[in-house]
Amino acid sequence: MNVSWRWLQELVPGLDLSSGEAAERLAMRGAPVERAVDLAAGLEDVVVGKVLSVRPHPNADRLTLCRVAGPGGEVSVVCGAPNVQADAFYPFAPVGAALPGGFKIGRRRIRGERSEGMLCSEQELGLGGDHEGVMLLGRADAPLVAGAAFAEAAGLDDVRMDVEVTPNRGDLLSHVGVARELHPEGHAGVVLPDLPGMDGAVRGGDALPGRTDGGLSDGADPGREAWSAWPGASGMPLLRYSADPGAPPPDAPLDVRIEDPALCSRYVAVLIRGVTVGPSPAWLANRLRAVGTRPVNNVVDATNYVMLEMGQPLHAFDLARLAGPAVAVGPARAGESIATLDGKRRDLTPDVLTIRDASGPVAVAGVMGGRDSEVSAETTAVVLECALFDPKSVRAGRRALAMSTEASCRFERGVDPAAATRAAGRAAQLICAVAGGDAAGPALDACPTPWTAPVVSLRPARAAQVLGVEFAPDRIAGLLGPLGYEVRPGRRPAASLGEHEDRAGAAGDADGKEASLAGHDVLEVRVPGHRAHDTLREADLIEELARAHGYDAFPSELGPCRPGAVPGDPRFELEDALRAALAAEGLSEAHTPALGPEEDGDVAVLNPTSAAEGFLRRDCLSGLLRRTELNMSRGVRDVRLFEIGTAFAPAGEGARPAESARVAAALAGAREPGHWSRPPEPFDVYDAARLLEIVARAAYPGGRVAEAVAQDGGGDASPGPDPGLEAPGASLFEPGRIYELASAAGEIVGRAGEIAAGRWDLPPWAGVLIGAEAVLPERPARRAEATARDLPNQPASQRDVAFMAPPGTSAGRVLEAARAGGGRLVEQAEVFDVYEGDDLPPGARSVAVRLRFRARGRTLTDAEVDRAFERAVARAKEETGVEPRS
Amino acid sequence: MKRELRRLEADAAAAIRAAGDLDALEQARVRFLGRKEGVLSGLLRGLGRLPPEARPEAGAEANRVKAALAGALDQRAAELAAAAGPARAREFDLSLPPRRRWRGSVHPVSRAVDDIWAIFRSLGFVRVRGPEAETEWYNFVALNTPLDHPAADEQDTLYLAPGLLLRSHTSPVQIRTLQKHAPPVRVIAPGMAYRRDTYDATHTPAFAQIEGLVVDEGVTFVDFKATLAEFARRFWGPDTQVRFRPSFFPFTEPSAEVDVKRVVTREDGSREETGWIEIMGAGMVDPAVLENVGCDPERYTGWAFGMGPARVAMLRHGVRDIRLFFENDMRFLRQFA
Repeated sequence: MNVSWRWLQELVPGLDLSSGEAAERLAMRGAPVERAVDLAAGLEDVVVGKVLSVRPHPNADRLTLCRVAGPGGEVSVVCGAPNVQADAFYPFAPVGAALPGGFKIGRRRIRGERSEGMLCSEQELGLGGDHEGVMLLGRADAPLVAGAAFAEAAGLDDVRMDVEVTPNRGDLLSHVGVARELHPEGHAGVVLPDLPGMDGAVRGGDALPGRTDGGLSDGADPGREAWSAWPGASGMPLLRYSADPGAPPPDAPLDVRIEDPALCSRYVAVLIRGVTVGPSPAWLANRLRAVGTRPVNNVVDATNYVMLEMGQPLHAFDLARLAGPAVAVGPARAGESIATLDGKRRDLTPDVLTIRDASGPVAVAGVMGGRDSEVSAETTAVVLECALFDPKSVRAGRRALAMSTEASCRFERGVDPAAATRAAGRAAQLICAVAGGDAAGPALDACPTPWTAPVVSLRPARAAQVLGVEFAPDRIAGLLGPLGYEVRPGRRPAASLGEHEDRAGAAGDADGKEASLAGHDVLEVRVPGHRAHDTLREADLIEELARAHGYDAFPSELGPCRPGAVPGDPRFELEDALRAALAAEGLSEAHTPALGPEEDGDVAVLNPTSAAEGFLRRDCLSGLLRRTELNMSRGVRDVRLFEIGTAFAPAGEGARPAESARVAAALAGAREPGHWSRPPEPFDVYDAARLLEIVARAAYPGGRVAEAVAQDGGGDASPGPDPGLEAPGASLFEPGRIYELASAAGEIVGRAGEIAAGRWDLPPWAGVLIGAEAVLPERPARRAEATARDLPNQPASQRDVAFMAPPGTSAGRVLEAARAGGGRLVEQAEVFDVYEGDDLPPGARSVAVRLRFRARGRTLTDAEVDRAFERAVARAKEETGVEPRS
Repeated sequence: MKRELRRLEADAAAAIRAAGDLDALEQARVRFLGRKEGVLSGLLRGLGRLPPEARPEAGAEANRVKAALAGALDQRAAELAAAAGPARAREFDLSLPPRRRWRGSVHPVSRAVDDIWAIFRSLGFVRVRGPEAETEWYNFVALNTPLDHPAADEQDTLYLAPGLLLRSHTSPVQIRTLQKHAPPVRVIAPGMAYRRDTYDATHTPAFAQIEGLVVDEGVTFVDFKATLAEFARRFWGPDTQVRFRPSFFPFTEPSAEVDVKRVVTREDGSREETGWIEIMGAGMVDPAVLENVGCDPERYTGWAFGMGPARVAMLRHGVRDIRLFFENDMRFLRQFA
């Protein structure tokens, strides 16, 4: 909500604050100022220029030569704007002036003609995007002085404050609402001032409640009272209208019917005849500009002004363009459409509440008026609408039409029902003041459901329970009073208005009320109209209490507390351990969004912002490989990424997708940073196994990493009986270069290997990509504590053997066979060398195995070791077809 | 015996000096000092034939000779090695870069989460989690956010199916926790949340969030303020000022935004006070939320907060564009190693 600092100052006379202090106070009241813009900043050099004459430029079709009266007398200016006219005032930047953005005006010669200054457009002054030409300040009769400071003349010696309004505070979408938060006395300190032209000129204007009782304080039934006190007496008969469509029309040119009172609780229509539609007076146009609203014409500007001032959206119809005697409020009929003020034709559905005449919809209720009944230069009589539409209905309608307007924004958040008639009166008065006319015609007030102030019970003890500070009933009244709440003693948890009024009558004067509050354990709080949409429960009032007291006024002392009874989720610790282990391994943790393109996922997002993020990922590795791609496209050759994240799998129509926690890693480039002592060694598939081992160590005690069993066609892992890891599919990897991690229970929970070439767009220098991914267990097993064993005190014996392994022999199987053959005496078995060479048959390898033998409690004899070794060699030979090399 | 030992010493020393390479030196060693065939071993075997009173002196002399020759052997070996030229000599140039391994890194946003968690852990909290795909009920309705209220618009939500969405905040974890566990509850819930935002310098459609929730008897606004102020000072430094501003969240009442004003130490050692920076949204749990999960709001009260660790990480490390956190350029990530 854009707020003008000068406007606020007028509403709160005597406010002794700078705009900066006001912003600070608003922040601490829940309405922080996001940005404050000094509107005159950069405009110091710009003055009011009066164009005296305009003639065509002799050497250019689109340029004109203007005589401009400025600060230093008359000068000649070449102007390119099509709208410049003689005898009018425009912003003028004389020679030597600097414009916002730093552009300096110099003496120039344009197509042979001297130009000493520049007439400016709004855009050139940094005031908005009006490209149509220079900014008109006024005609010859305007009270402007050539050479005066432009900012002041244009009402721009002001600060525009962008106040952040939370969705509960519809009341802050008005200057009055913001002013209430600023004045120390709150509500009571805000006054609606007379506006230029209002005094005396308007019939009935004297009776406006805004002038008689200091502004906004509500009577017992503010809406009704204000209304009956308003112009009614002097030639403006008040017609109350029933919702009954069958009721006879009144003796008036206009009738109002409300089809569903639940959707429109009040509809006030004021007929104003004899208006002259034209540009607004400068003060009004400038005021609107100061808050970033474009002036349109005097009638529309007046309705916008009152909306921005009081928060009540208003609309003006051209009476001549309404068909038939009745204005109805009701849902659109199927198949109807309307051309709205923004020039768009919109198809309507019965969700959309409309204002209708005999011909069909003429406005979208609470959202936007219709083009066909728009106020225009020909308009002489307007129907001013001031209505209370149901917030949910307005919301449904504007959502159905996919639009949002200043009006809908206010209706959705709730408009002050107690101020509607006052707003109607003020707008009528302002229209008469700026457009002439006579509001003496009949005004209609269709009010099927009169508003009554809600009364909410508040227990001081409950406030203390929540806030931790005791507030005496009198203190509560003192804090809530300025916000517009009336606090009275009460006994029952809830009371209807009728009962409340009885007691209110009995409570008598203010002194009596104060005395009666002390000692009451239930208070009854009457909610003012401007908060009738958001403070309807005790909890809401307790918040108001805390807000009025000031959050910073509460103490901040740590008290005793009980530890929670909720167990922590053990997977966090597992993730911590994995994160630490992988970072220690030299990998960098990545975060990638779980949203990706269709090829990455099986769960679609209904309303994605782009196709590239239209699906929830089925694995985390693909995202890491994309980031590897990105790194390499930027010339980064060494990539080591890991991520701990969530993957999603469909779980059936309308069901929450299955989520699984994953750890994934991608490696590319050199295994160690470059060093002068040796050539770089790239990552290879054996590093993939290493990654799975790290995962196994942290997450799967007893898990095993092994070469994946070859699958037909290298396709995705078939969903077997226990598809622990359906993704990443084996197809991400190069066939024959895949490891699997099996949990202790034998379930495949992870896969790693060399990434299949082709799918990724990698530079030619990119070597092998290594990838790994594993599912993290929902409930990680507790790692068993290690049991210490005595260190051996007998010597070990070692024997080496080199086998000639024919092509296709698995070295791992050779090793396992040798270990098994050696029996219990084998303490350790390892492959210590693998060799291919010219002295071996093609494809064959020499696999050298070292066995270490030891027995507990005795020293092995050479003969024993020899026998065990021979058995090991024999078993390897028998099982795998290798031959020991001599 | 003594004379023989002296002669042995002289002969062996000459042979050692004469050795032109390591093989010759080894031959000399075996010849004079070898355990089985060596000259010294032979002499020592004759030690037993000496009269007992002469044995200690001869033994001592033998040991001296042995040690002297061992020293000579080592020295000659070193000379030979040095003479063998640069290929074999390990001339260590310590000005060369040392051996290094890759240094890994934890993502700056994870680090922020970890550091936040460490503080809350010391304040008696545990970590819990909930699903990222949620129902409207958990994400909005149970959190007192009617879908037909503008408050629901504050978070433009990504939907998976009618009524099914990607959680727009971590607050549904509040509901799931309270459904499963009776108070006392004292938890934080780090996790990812999603909104229908397009990427810009301060928005990403997926983002990390940390939820906090305390529910117990006797928990008040004063506890709420004190605990979060304590957190802020521990996280941002003891000189940090903390302020609570009224705000609105459908599921807390009173609601607050928490701002901090930090004292930052610049690289040149100067200290500078920042402006107020918003770090979290928080408030007392709305009684309607407690009612929705069957928790008696007349008996229990609580408070909750939500904060963005990515924003914390941006402030901490001076990162100007949140998209860097999702780009995962190695050159960026490794700055946090």
